[in-house]
Amino acid sequence: MNLSQMPILSIVTYIPLVGALLIVFLVPKEKTGTIKMLATVFAGVDLLVSLPLWFAFDRAKAGYQFQERASWIPSLGVDYHFGIDGISLVLILLTTFVGFIAVYCSYTAIHERQKEYYVLLLLLQTFMIGTFCCLDFFLFYVFWEVMLVPMYFLIGVWGGERRLYAAIKFFLYTLAGSVLMLLGIIALYFYNTTGFLGYKGLGHAPTFSVEALTAVASGMPAELQVWLFFAFFFGFAIKVPMFPFHTWLPDAHTEAPTAGSVILAAVLLKMGTYGFVRFSLPMFPEAIKTDWVLGLVVALAIIGIVYGAMVTLVQKDMKKLIAYSSVSHLGFVMLGVFAGNMAGLQGGILQMVNHGVSTGALFLLVGIVYERRHTRMIAEYGGLARQMPLYATYFLIMALSSMGLPLLNGFIGEFTILQGAFARNFWWAFFASMGIVLGAAYLLWLYQRVFFGELSNPANAKLPDLTMREQLTLAPLVVAALWIGLYPKPLFDVLRTPSENIVRSLGGKTMPPPAMAVKAPPAPAAAETGAGQPR
Amino acid sequence: MKDLIWLIPLFPLAGFLVNGLVYLIDHRTKGEPLHDELHSHQAAAESQKHLGHPHAHMHEETHPEPKLIHTIVGPGSVALSCLFAFGAIFDLGLSRLSEGAVHVVTLYRWLPLGVNEAVGQVPGKAAEWFVDAAFRLDSLSALMLAFVTFVGFLIHVYSVGYMGHDAGYGRYFAYLNLFMFSMLVLVLGNNFLLLFVGWEGVGLCSYLLIGYDYHKKNAADAGKKAFVVNRIGDFGFILGIFGVFALFGSLDFGKVFPAAAAAGPDVTPYMTLICICLFVGACGKSAQFPLYVWLPDAMAGPTPVSALIHAATMVTAGVYMVSRCNVLFRLSPDAMVVVAVIGGFTALFAATIGLAQNDIKKVLAYSTVSQLGYMFLACGVGAFVAGMFHVLTHAFFKACLFLGSGSVIHALSGEQDIQRMGGLSSKIRTTYRTFLIATIAIAGIPPLAGFFSKDAILGAVFEAHMPTAPVWLPRLLWVTGIFTAGMTAFYMFRLVSLTFWGTYRGTAEQESHIHESPSSMTIPLIVLAFLSIVGGWIGIPIARGGDKIGEFLSPILLPLAGAHSAEHHANVSLEVLLMAASVAVAVTGILLAYVWYAKGGGETPAKIAQRYPGVYRAVYNKYYVDEAYNALFVEGLAKGGGRFLWEVDATVVDLIPNGAAGVTKAFSWISSLFDQYVVDGLVNGLADTLQAGYRMFRSAQTGRVQNYALVMGAGLFAIVAVYLVFR
Amino acid sequence: MTFHGTDWFLLSPELVLTTAGLILLALAPVFRKGHDEFVGFLSFLFVGVTAVFLAIVSAAPARHAGPILAGMFVVDNFAVFFKFAILLTIALTILASIGFLGSAPYPSVEFFALLLFAGVGMLFMVSGSNLISIYVSLELMALSSYILAGYFKGQVKSTEAALKYFILGAFSSAVLLYGLSLVYGVGGKLGLTELAQMYAGTQRTNLVVLGILLVLAGLLFKIAAVPFHVWTPDVYEGSPTPVTAFFAVGPKLAAYAILARIFYVGFPKFHADWGLIVALVAAATMIWGNIAALLQTNVKRMFAYSSIAHAGYALLGVLGFQTPFGLWGILVYLLAYTFMNFGAFALVIFLETRGYAAETVADFNGLAKRNMPAAIVMLLFLLSLAGIPPTAGFIGKYYLFTAAMKAGYAWLAVLAVLASAVSLFYYFRIAAAMFFSEAEGAPMKGSFALTAAVIVCAAGTLVVGIAPERVLEVLRHCVPGTY
Repeated sequence: MNLSQMPILSIVTYIPLVGALLIVFLVPKEKTGTIKMLATVFAGVDLLVSLPLWFAFDRAKAGYQFQERASWIPSLGVDYHFGIDGISLVLILLTTFVGFIAVYCSYTAIHERQKEYYVLLLLLQTFMIGTFCCLDFFLFYVFWEVMLVPMYFLIGVWGGERRLYAAIKFFLYTLAGSVLMLLGIIALYFYNTTGFLGYKGLGHAPTFSVEALTAVASGMPAELQVWLFFAFFFGFAIKVPMFPFHTWLPDAHTEAPTAGSVILAAVLLKMGTYGFVRFSLPMFPEAIKTDWVLGLVVALAIIGIVYGAMVTLVQKDMKKLIAYSSVSHLGFVMLGVFAGNMAGLQGGILQMVNHGVSTGALFLLVGIVYERRHTRMIAEYGGLARQMPLYATYFLIMALSSMGLPLLNGFIGEFTILQGAFARNFWWAFFASMGIVLGAAYLLWLYQRVFFGELSNPANAKLPDLTMREQLTLAPLVVAALWIGLYPKPLFDVLRTPSENIVRSLGGKTMPPPAMAVKAPPAPAAAETGAGQPR
Repeated sequence: MKDLIWLIPLFPLAGFLVNGLVYLIDHRTKGEPLHDELHSHQAAAESQKHLGHPHAHMHEETHPEPKLIHTIVGPGSVALSCLFAFGAIFDLGLSRLSEGAVHVVTLYRWLPLGVNEAVGQVPGKAAEWFVDAAFRLDSLSALMLAFVTFVGFLIHVYSVGYMGHDAGYGRYFAYLNLFMFSMLVLVLGNNFLLLFVGWEGVGLCSYLLIGYDYHKKNAADAGKKAFVVNRIGDFGFILGIFGVFALFGSLDFGKVFPAAAAAGPDVTPYMTLICICLFVGACGKSAQFPLYVWLPDAMAGPTPVSALIHAATMVTAGVYMVSRCNVLFRLSPDAMVVVAVIGGFTALFAATIGLAQNDIKKVLAYSTVSQLGYMFLACGVGAFVAGMFHVLTHAFFKACLFLGSGSVIHALSGEQDIQRMGGLSSKIRTTYRTFLIATIAIAGIPPLAGFFSKDAILGAVFEAHMPTAPVWLPRLLWVTGIFTAGMTAFYMFRLVSLTFWGTYRGTAEQESHIHESPSSMTIPLIVLAFLSIVGGWIGIPIARGGDKIGEFLSPILLPLAGAHSAEHHANVSLEVLLMAASVAVAVTGILLAYVWYAKGGGETPAKIAQRYPGVYRAVYNKYYVDEAYNALFVEGLAKGGGRFLWEVDATVVDLIPNGAAGVTKAFSWISSLFDQYVVDGLVNGLADTLQAGYRMFRSAQTGRVQNYALVMGAGLFAIVAVYLVFR
Repeated sequence: MTFHGTDWFLLSPELVLTTAGLILLALAPVFRKGHDEFVGFLSFLFVGVTAVFLAIVSAAPARHAGPILAGMFVVDNFAVFFKFAILLTIALTILASIGFLGSAPYPSVEFFALLLFAGVGMLFMVSGSNLISIYVSLELMALSSYILAGYFKGQVKSTEAALKYFILGAFSSAVLLYGLSLVYGVGGKLGLTELAQMYAGTQRTNLVVLGILLVLAGLLFKIAAVPFHVWTPDVYEGSPTPVTAFFAVGPKLAAYAILARIFYVGFPKFHADWGLIVALVAAATMIWGNIAALLQTNVKRMFAYSSIAHAGYALLGVLGFQTPFGLWGILVYLLAYTFMNFGAFALVIFLETRGYAAETVADFNGLAKRNMPAAIVMLLFLLSLAGIPPTAGFIGKYYLFTAAMKAGYAWLAVLAVLASAVSLFYYFRIAAAMFFSEAEGAPMKGSFALTAAVIVCAAGTLVVGIAPERVLEVLRHCVPGTY
């Protein structure tokens, strides 16, 4: 079977949608068993179908692959245009992976209105995958916006006490950002065609093609680039979320049901960083090379790292704690992305995946104990280690991966990011590295308060340990964490080519120069013997 | 066999997996009723208030079959790696190693970072950056490998006896194996990053093992403290690594060090920065001032752990790392001075605290900190060989001391306060003899191990050549060193006197079942005691060819121009003089301790304490450093700052959305009021339907509807006005 | 002054509808209460027939000859589009009214007749190319509307609404008339094209501009733009809900048509004079409408403000009328607006006919439990009103924002997008009520007619949102001057 012949991306994107429609129209809402089964099957099939992409993907080839193109609104030059490069490939696989887990972990968590719940989960997955596939700005905007709707309902219907506030805050805040992005897109459109606001257009045929407009944008005068950079910036920065725009995140996370938090952390937050990588960097190199712009963004990122970590330290609610830790982690991602060199960029993208795996898993774990005790307050727990040794083990592994312990995924991301940042500026790396110390502090303190000490709270005395299903939801994430930690090369191979393009567009070097970095060293006293070649 | 060195760490890793899984399967919760839980806990808590006691929760015995598995797999895996280690070393050949043979086994490409720009003076700039998973066997790693695996094996064996009755037997061995894995990765790693991997790994295991009795708050706290303080060190270490990478475009020892050696003085400023950063890391791991605070608390862990991790192996990783980077450090005399000064100060500082401690393990802990200070002092003056030499000997006698103290605690069923001991020499003979030997060794009495290494250090310090430091500094450091040596001898023999000599001061109940430990515990003691005697003979000064270890390590630790003379061609008379001085000081310390404590029963020190209560309290309370740190950094900076920022987050930052919403809503309220009032929404315009028509008409006349017209008229004029203004 | 036979043929839709209205009036004595359904479907039939005639006319080449009846009217694609839209609105209103009137104690024949007459007025209005014809047809529409507003005589709300509507309508008509007279007085011509030629030559004088501004003001009243919006909340709240739905769409269609025509055909030269003012009015309208809607608890009042806000968006199109997106955008947007706004009102009517006379947001509580399809459709309309893709509302707004950007009003575009983001807040109060709050009471079913209306609206909203190309192409040819 030749994948390039078939619209594989559309298939991956719309399988969940099909599942959702089937459930809506064929299954009565009383038959919850059938609904769960169907939802799981479709999410699983989607995961399976998305896997061939990984193998069929040509690492060496620059540009987008598996492209599908059809005219959608010709009068505007809008196309239905799908296509992926290494960056979107990784994120799509993350989405299908986490999407399946999200469905599978909800069996016991959700009791009322299950039909709507699983339908919304599937819809959300379709919209998320679509967003990563889009190569047409108009289409991208459509997916980007419509994605908010199912998430709004997931939070609003199945959320906690303050769910209404959290849901509308999430929706409005992110929407407010993205409408500005819409104007940015329109401006690009006009700059490419007939011009606007005294900017003379290039007179090209109207198009929303990402490739075309990226080429156009990178040629724009610097001050226009700065304007448009900020038009897009708000859309993305709020979604990330970057420092001053992050307050929707703790509320949304705390109120959302477990699966909602998992998807929110693992995928939705990546939309923002993905936007920066896919659009802002290649489109507005001049803006990013402008000192104050770069300074501002990096400053916000670093503040996010330290500030987020310090706020995390004092949280009393497990979910809020992990939510704030996301602010810190995403700060790392932003720092790496805007370091703009290979190390930083690849590290940043890798850290998106890592954060998805680690934080997703942590939300799962919190959800598991929440199902048993219906409280997320840390003070309610303590001494769980002797009561739930398996649970404690899983939690420890994911906490360690989240705090960036070597041989687990988090370390790879943080190291490469900080290495990239250091290569740009010592102080960036210096301040950001504080996040590592604080990260250890808040996670270990959390772990101690929940698992160590005497099992003093009678309510925890009879807590059962993980069930087989719960282990099945967690194990894949642990495996992923170990894999990325031990052998991340496959991911780097996928990310390399697109990252090189971006770095080149920012004017960075991507080809090794004839001269090696340092003067030829004198031969050591006795020649090194060796075995094995780097594979 | 040398191509199989990658297996050496893997054996313990496998052991970790087996032990861990078996333990988890064995300990799946049965959901015991709560009161049993609490009861047993209180029982455990009451029966033993003290740290590190093995029988803390005996109520959950490990089942026999799993226990057998743990007993075989735990020590067995380490035995295997020990065999493979020595196999590899001899396969490569000691002679070839001492000639500088380096054997690298590359497993796979770990981190391909693509092409990046290097900073700094080094020409070339952009280059392909990558990190391989590769192991390295050279004389330095061979030395470490040998004693880490061997001492590690001994302590595993010891643990079989010591932890025998513990519920977490399997968990314990899982952690211990994981530690061996990390430590061996640290030792064998072929690049800075792999070194860092092991570095963090041992930190994690230290965390897990200190907090092994996790249900005790102080244990859990100590574990967290150790990890976080180490993270502060790692913060520096990782920055240093970034610096190396950014400067040389590689982390490979085989690339970086030759390049650095060739780089010349233009990189010195960068080197100073990098080396200081690296040394911060070393301070964290090797418990140097100001990051030493975690090590004493770490004694909350089981005693074998203190022996293995917090005396013999892990804490010396810092010294190993600094020696490994000696090429870099030599490029920056300033960094060297920092190392020497910090080391010297820590040695003295910790020794003074050691004088007044009454917890047998705390005394040993502070002595460890002090000895580590010695090692850094050596590195600081360029005597890296002497430093590593002391690492080796220290591993032997300090491990022996800790295991001995464990045996004592075991015998006294948990007692750790030396004030409640005494006169044990007759009751637990083997423990006593081995302990005494190790004590003499650490005190620096020839011909035991400690003497040679300590003497090498002091000699090097005396003749140190520090270009950028004031000339009196080496002398001052030497005085510090020799004074510390005296104090070491003193407090160690104070320990022996109070523990083994004199009369028993504990409760009769404890005395009733004082017993010598099982052979699984005594045999390691004997072996280590033996090593504490002969261990130093590989570094005999003066005698031609006596300094075997110096030759062995010479390819890696090329002697410093200045220190060179100090280590080899110093004139014999001076050398002898120095030896005599240090021995004399040691003997003085020993005699003082003997007279004051063994004979005098401790009146004199008590008097002194009364004479200078302030000084005594300060020393006894470790100069209140912990309290200061806690108030300043933990409560103040971290938590306080966190709480403050959280307030800010909930109020100020959240103003962006909520404030916007609030303002909008306020405006909304006003605007609708406006329409309500001016437009007179039907609220008050309505009455009963009978008079409606009339009322309507009236209301229209009395201006409600005119208000509409008013607004519209005003708007009309506004429009015209705008036109007239802006046309 | 020559009349051609084809002229009457081209006006046949209007004539048919007038006849239909008269027939209904004639039948009034026959059908007292009780035959509401029959009468409703009869008038629906009439509208259908009119639509057929309109289709025939639109196919006729003769209409491209230019103005008819001595330049009184023009039947260009622009007009044809609006006529179709208006007929659609009336048809929907009828469908929505059937059940509603059935449950009310008032005769339905006159109601439908008035509706048709208002329709006639609007049909003429959108074709008007002469100051007199425009004004007269506008008045015809207005007078019918006043009566419709007060049709539920027993209800004080309704009568008060009618009275206010009438008084202020008269005021605005006066302003409009005054403006027209000024324009005529200076130009000496009544036909828009002639006026344009006139002014093309002469120097523009303040008097003309004043006239233009007065005309503008008069029309802004009809589209309920700030500050001429003040009547809207009361009238919308007071009128019978089907009438409100009609007001929110029909008259606005006609008013926008005429606004665009006058300013595009008549006074393009004076863009410099009215541009800034329209911009300011648009800004004020968008802000005021959205802001004031935030805290409304009465649904009809909320939608009144929301429709004010939407009037503001549409003004962006008027501003950009020189750009290819301006008038095109208005057409797209008004079509979308017709579907989504009427759909939303249809759901309100649905609830009212199911015994929720209070018309508060709380009426929607738990609708998802009681009638999931209704809730989902309402959600669709709300999303569309808020401009969330992929709905008609998004496509429409996209065009308007584009027009504003292109016309150089970037600040206005920024304002508009932010305002539309805010609007989500009050729209989703209804969504939250429908889906989040607990339901009480049994499932609810809608009447056939109403269901049909809702389905039409939903279909329109989705089609324009997801597969807009065909529609867009058609509308592109409806922009004046492009036939």
